[in-house]
Amino acid sequence: MMDITLKVNGEEHALNVPVSRTLLDALRDDLKLTGSKNACNQGACGACTVLLDGTPVNACLVLAVGATGRDIVTIEGLGESGTLSPVQQAFVDTGAIQCGFCMSGMIVSATAILAENPKPTRDEIRSALSGNLCRCSGYVRVIDAVMLASERQGA
Amino acid sequence: MDFHQPTSLDQTLALLAADPEALPLAGGATLVAMLNAELIEPSALVSLSAIDELQTIEAAPEGGLRIGAMLSHATLAAEGRLAGGHAVVRQAAAQIAHPSVRNIGTLGGAVAHGDPSSDLPAALVAADARIEVAGSTARRRVAAEDFFEDYLTTALQEGEMVTAIILPAQPAGAFGHYEKFARVHGDYATLSVAVVLAMKEGKCSFARIALGAAGPTPVRVPDVEACLLGSALDEDTVQAAAALLVEACDPVDDVRGSAEYRLMLVPRLLARALGTAAAA
Repeated sequence: MMDITLKVNGEEHALNVPVSRTLLDALRDDLKLTGSKNACNQGACGACTVLLDGTPVNACLVLAVGATGRDIVTIEGLGESGTLSPVQQAFVDTGAIQCGFCMSGMIVSATAILAENPKPTRDEIRSALSGNLCRCSGYVRVIDAVMLASERQGA
Repeated sequence: MDFHQPTSLDQTLALLAADPEALPLAGGATLVAMLNAELIEPSALVSLSAIDELQTIEAAPEGGLRIGAMLSHATLAAEGRLAGGHAVVRQAAAQIAHPSVRNIGTLGGAVAHGDPSSDLPAALVAADARIEVAGSTARRRVAAEDFFEDYLTTALQEGEMVTAIILPAQPAGAFGHYEKFARVHGDYATLSVAVVLAMKEGKCSFARIALGAAGPTPVRVPDVEACLLGSALDEDTVQAAAALLVEACDPVDDVRGSAEYRLMLVPRLLARALGTAAAA
């Protein structure tokens, strides 16, 4: 077991975790931030995507002990105090959400691409979200949602 | 399981030498996935993330580039110095899995894992890369072609780790191309063809070719390259070269394609890869 401090959504948390604990499990089980989902636990599905120093990563492939000193942002940290972020709002308005299980990862990846490239093409969005699987297979409205968020961001 | 995060290579190598059951942890894209699946049970992890000398890319003294083992696939995919013949490595890195995995996975990690269906091994063989390896008593360089010994088996000895990849200067006018065929975007290759090619007055003046997912290690056949030299890469020559390559392949049957299907892809992807590199 190791004592670590994780900075999540701007807040520091002191934790005592086994070395093998992934960042995803630390977020979900220790910090009760269950928005990031555990589906494959192998880096294949993207449901656990979080921002690590602003960069999207699979939280299931990062060890909690290796994430100390990093700036971690989860789906819970995207909106300001109980409101939806512009990307979240665009996903709601577009009707992009079906069962919702993949949505946290989709929205985190979408937030990252829009921060880097405010006016992405549909192909660039597809590429940026290629690691986020939706088994409802509702990809078209997801891309519509990111386009909408991009338009609103520019307005 | 213990966790160490040394700040120097010497400390890292001492930790690895002192505990044969310890594993170096690079990005974690494969190692953490294997921990999650309970496939490995190391006594300790020695994180390489705080060692500055593994994070640099610089011109190598003998020409070419020396790339630190801890650079991520995303960094390589955006590296402008990986141009000309070296572009084969940039293109391979850009096609590994998905953006979030490319932000985690590292060059050194992928090399040390030695998965023949991953993208970098074939590209590094085509680029005639040297793998820089360090152990507690010595550093050495191994040609990529000799480094990958068998499926998930490399020339790394106990206590050794990959510290850098050295890409030698490529022939003047050479272009690299990495042609990957996968069932879906971001999957492991069903088959891939990495080429470094130079053309002079319409004739092939240099070729170095390696196939990925075509056997337990990257497949390279010097006779294939000899067969292309001096030709205009006409269809008959390319098909003859592909036939030689097919003889050297020993692919597996798996969910990404049967061995027979993979062999059928060799001539098609070779022609496509050479055509693209020649037109670059």
